[in-house]
Amino acid sequence: MMGQPLVPTLLRKHLAELAARDERADGRGRWESRDLSVEVGVLERAEGSAKVQIGDTIVFTGIKFQIQTPYPDRPDEGGLMTSVELRPLAGRHIEPGPPSPESIEMARVVDRGIRESGCIDTKDLCIIAGEKVWQVIIDCFAISDDGNLFDAFALAAIAALHNATLPGERFDIGEDRPLPVNKTPIMCSFQKVGGRFVYDANREEELGGDERIHITLGGDDHVHSLQKGLKGAFTASEFAEIMDAAKQRCAELKKIVDSL
Amino acid sequence: MGYGDVQMIDEKGNRVDGRKAGDLRPIEIEMGVVPVADGSASVRWGTNYVIASIYGPMEAHPRKIQRQERAVLDVRYNMAPFSTTDRFRPGFNRRSREISKVTAEALESVVLLELYPRSKIRVEIEVICAEAGTRCVGLTAASLALADAGIPMTDLVVSVASGKINDVVVCDLNKEEDNYGEADLPMGILPNSGELVFLQMDGDLSPEQFQEAWDYNMNAAMEIHVMMKEAIANKYGGES
Repeated sequence: MMGQPLVPTLLRKHLAELAARDERADGRGRWESRDLSVEVGVLERAEGSAKVQIGDTIVFTGIKFQIQTPYPDRPDEGGLMTSVELRPLAGRHIEPGPPSPESIEMARVVDRGIRESGCIDTKDLCIIAGEKVWQVIIDCFAISDDGNLFDAFALAAIAALHNATLPGERFDIGEDRPLPVNKTPIMCSFQKVGGRFVYDANREEELGGDERIHITLGGDDHVHSLQKGLKGAFTASEFAEIMDAAKQRCAELKKIVDSL
Repeated sequence: MGYGDVQMIDEKGNRVDGRKAGDLRPIEIEMGVVPVADGSASVRWGTNYVIASIYGPMEAHPRKIQRQERAVLDVRYNMAPFSTTDRFRPGFNRRSREISKVTAEALESVVLLELYPRSKIRVEIEVICAEAGTRCVGLTAASLALADAGIPMTDLVVSVASGKINDVVVCDLNKEEDNYGEADLPMGILPNSGELVFLQMDGDLSPEQFQEAWDYNMNAAMEIHVMMKEAIANKYGGES
């Protein structure tokens, strides 16, 4: 997916110089987010949907439901699937073709945060035990990639789930009802840029940065998923620092989602 | 249930959504909706919602697609998985391939390709929400996105379809009408010259009905062209 940046060395040098003065390329503080907005109920054909914009990064997430046969060892539990589509619409660096390793990683990290938080009780998705259960499909779709798609997708996913309706009528199995969603897991992503971690890296910082860390927190600061991506090594104290920043930011974002 | 068994037009000539035969669904155009692209536009048309973005002109690769004397258009039409009532499974799709091809050929008829030898212009069309007539909405959105990218063209392309329900010719079928439609005639029209760069048809039309559908499309294209010029003028100023 990612094309080779033309001047990574110069960009890295520039970002390192900024970091030495504790500055960022777009003037933000280390833990400061770009402008963020969340809208729900934006897609007519989806059973739940959200649009998230973080700076110039724009994503949609749509929730669709299908009926499936449950797994024999879990006859009364429904399914959950998360997919990420990075179509070339969203950036010149995105190539057409089958899902890239990057998009699969994003989908799996978003999925783990939602799944492991227990915000969806798969038993709520049972229609007839052993025969019919709902499968929830979370489709994440990028419109404009200016960095930090992980957080944009995760936020749009949980907002869309809170907005979702189980389409009983369309499948002839009773009335439509809201999808029960018990929690609000929130992901915060950090990237090492110029030798120190920053929150909500933009595309330029991603290109000229090193490793990234994704943290998903649920209620009471419980950790539900972690992911370290890309080349680079970090210390325990660096991790403690970003965990503190994540706790603060997750609480702010949770308030936004819960108020929608 | 066969074609025409469901009454879609009442005795006063009103369609299911209250439109008359020649009326378009509401259309809303927004320019520059993909901030990282070189040009972009979105078109909401009924409940269709299509976004198009442009990247380039850029070096054409792989080399074998390069043309010494002109640019090539690399057009992709795709439906988002949540764009349809039943989830649309991502991946290879013959319908999308065909629409991409005819859309590319329509746009190649207006873009001044010879200004950019050996280069490529990427045209990305994504259907975010599908109702009926997505190929027309996609082609219209793509021509707006090319204009937004500042790529010289001889004209905008306005695409619209007319069809037949209950043996009556109507303009711009919506989803319910499309489900019972007896014919579909999508066209891509150059509003300044009246020429066509895109034409498809399926179904059954008598010669009179065909002419009627053709005329509806021509008139609708002029109406849509006004909206397109307005949207461009809103962003860039000047007379629409």
